[in-house]
Amino acid sequence: MNILGIGIVFTGGCGIDAYENALIKGFNAEDNNLFVYSVDLDRIKDKNLWKKLRRADKFSKMAVLAAADAATNSAVLHMDKKRLGIIVSSAFGPQVTTFDFLDGLLDYGEVNVSPTVFSNSVHNAASSYIAGVLGVHGPCLTITQFYFSFQTALQMAGVWLDEERCDYCLVGAVDQYGEVLGYIQNHKLSLAEDGRIKPFNFKPTYQIPAEGSVFFLVSKNKTDNTFCKIESICFNKNNLDNNVDVDLNIIDADGAMADESAYLSAISPKIPTAAYAPLFGSMMIGSAFNCTAGALMLKNQAYYKNPVTDNPHGINLLQDQGSSSIERISCIRYNCNTENAIIHLKRA
Amino acid sequence: MKNNNVLITGMGVVSAAGSNLTEALASLKVEKRNAGSVSIFETPLKYPVFEVKKIPKEFDLAGRRTISLALCAVNEALFMAGLASDLSKLRVGVCLGTTVGSQLNGRKFYESYRLSGSAPMLAVDRYLKGNPAEFISRKFKAHSPYMTVVNACSSASDAIGAALSWINNGLCDIAIAGGADELSRISLSGFGSLGIISSDLCAPFDANRKGLNLGEGAGVLILESESSAAKRGKSSDLYLTGYGSASDAYHLTAPRPDGLGLELSIKKALMDSGIKTYDICFVNAHGTGTLDNDKVEGAVLQNLFGKRIKFLSTKGFTGHTLGAAGGIEAVFTAAALKKGWIPASAGFMNADKSLGIAPVREKTKINGKYALSTSLAFGGNNAALVFAKSVIS
Repeated sequence: MNILGIGIVFTGGCGIDAYENALIKGFNAEDNNLFVYSVDLDRIKDKNLWKKLRRADKFSKMAVLAAADAATNSAVLHMDKKRLGIIVSSAFGPQVTTFDFLDGLLDYGEVNVSPTVFSNSVHNAASSYIAGVLGVHGPCLTITQFYFSFQTALQMAGVWLDEERCDYCLVGAVDQYGEVLGYIQNHKLSLAEDGRIKPFNFKPTYQIPAEGSVFFLVSKNKTDNTFCKIESICFNKNNLDNNVDVDLNIIDADGAMADESAYLSAISPKIPTAAYAPLFGSMMIGSAFNCTAGALMLKNQAYYKNPVTDNPHGINLLQDQGSSSIERISCIRYNCNTENAIIHLKRA
Repeated sequence: MKNNNVLITGMGVVSAAGSNLTEALASLKVEKRNAGSVSIFETPLKYPVFEVKKIPKEFDLAGRRTISLALCAVNEALFMAGLASDLSKLRVGVCLGTTVGSQLNGRKFYESYRLSGSAPMLAVDRYLKGNPAEFISRKFKAHSPYMTVVNACSSASDAIGAALSWINNGLCDIAIAGGADELSRISLSGFGSLGIISSDLCAPFDANRKGLNLGEGAGVLILESESSAAKRGKSSDLYLTGYGSASDAYHLTAPRPDGLGLELSIKKALMDSGIKTYDICFVNAHGTGTLDNDKVEGAVLQNLFGKRIKFLSTKGFTGHTLGAAGGIEAVFTAAALKKGWIPASAGFMNADKSLGIAPVREKTKINGKYALSTSLAFGGNNAALVFAKSVIS
């Protein structure tokens, strides 16, 4: 399947251009002296969109912004909305709203909770808002799991397209930062107190909690705007470094696991490695952001430098920046059981 | 597009109607409704609920009731399918739906955090290890895809539909598919706040219906490609032949008045199966007993299948089990096809003239090859599954 459009909301802004700018600009410690990579929705001025989302929580708003942006970015003008699918993936769902609901329950009792807050705390609220805003009548799926939710969503989108359940699919990932989640994350993991996520440290690791959303519009069709092809999505693949056809490995190391040494087994001395988490933060759905970087590189035929290059293991890091001929990029994620999921991207 | 034939080689179900399929069918047969007040947590809310009264010790994991319910149903289904507890040598996927099972919503944990800014991590650890599909995948060493679907009340139907797609697309040969959900304080108070819980026993499609009752449980199918079943020397006369899903694009909690999403999902499931509406011998409707759901669903069923279609809601026996509902109802639908009867639509007494269609009032013989199960969900999700009995040409 092909990526025809990308929408993104992250700490650096909204839209693929903002993300590309961040990739080009790279990491600046002074700009990024943050303990949370949060998204500022107030910067987004689209009143028409906000009108339709006035009751939505931040989780849903981020997802709708990214999904709508992906559809617009694709420049596909005529889509049969009955043939457009939606797949939303998340690690934690709208947990901030769930805790808001619990606040109501604890403060006012079970008889006096808010129906609006309850409705928005349901996991598929985001997909419902996306369908409503874009008028989508195709199949719709929301999935939640901790490590490979984005990869699983992409795989499912591929299946839907293969079996012609839909012609286009908006597939993406969203997670929201919340005080409670931040407490848990900082309790279980070490915070990067210098404001620098060091993706190639592997152990010990340091993270900075984050939030955001990425959506792809994917299809079997190809357009002039196509970013790249998603060649395959593999789970639990062994002997990763044998694949010498790959021009670049992007790894999802971001400090969100206490031990990320498993990535060392995925790294080949022959293939340069990159990781872009310092630009968007530590998130279970970080794969979607790294994959976006890969898609941009394949479209633009240009590399983006590693934002942070601390390299205690002496691995072959991507050094180049700028134009190059790029055919294939692998986006690699490990979980804490050292299982992996790989998204193989190919030039369109 | 017509699907390949995917067999149902195992079924497992636990709900207030019974702790396994045999018990549940016995309850359905005699119209036994095991509702009562909430006993698994303290609450001032006095709505009747359908709780699972007994979880066998070997499946009862402290603080993880949704997983415990899932384990009950999965074990029964695997046993029926003749599958062992170590599936590592087979290509088995796990696709389960839930709502409560995917939320970090421990009241004590959060209360402690609010009061002191810190909280014990036990609830968090249970949550992090309690993603339903991942848990079942690890427990049974099922290494093909796993996915937890959180499509609100259609979660389990959509999970079953996704598993059908996996098998048809060669991602796995066998799938453990369905849903599980526990009764929770959050959903009870949340649905209560929406004003859609009945203070009496629910009466789907009845003229005097006042809303839904919540329940809990799990329902799981073992789906299997014909070639895999043949290789294992396993046969079955039950098939899952089609799945349709469509969005209302209308409202966060209310169904679209014209039923467009439901209609599209049913048509897609029929097309997947290569059949027409007249091939359906009965419909196991979502039938929650709320004014809006039953009005929209009744109209769509009448529109597509005519006034004479035999249909029922089994929620009068189980309550609305949210993320488990589609799984439990899939098991009941397939079992009814096999047995040749459907139970009375529990709670239904008086026809709603505005619907122009009424469910079966008593245990009814059915004679046909195909049956449909529908699910409508918050968020405007609609899902439809088509089941078949015996040989399909």
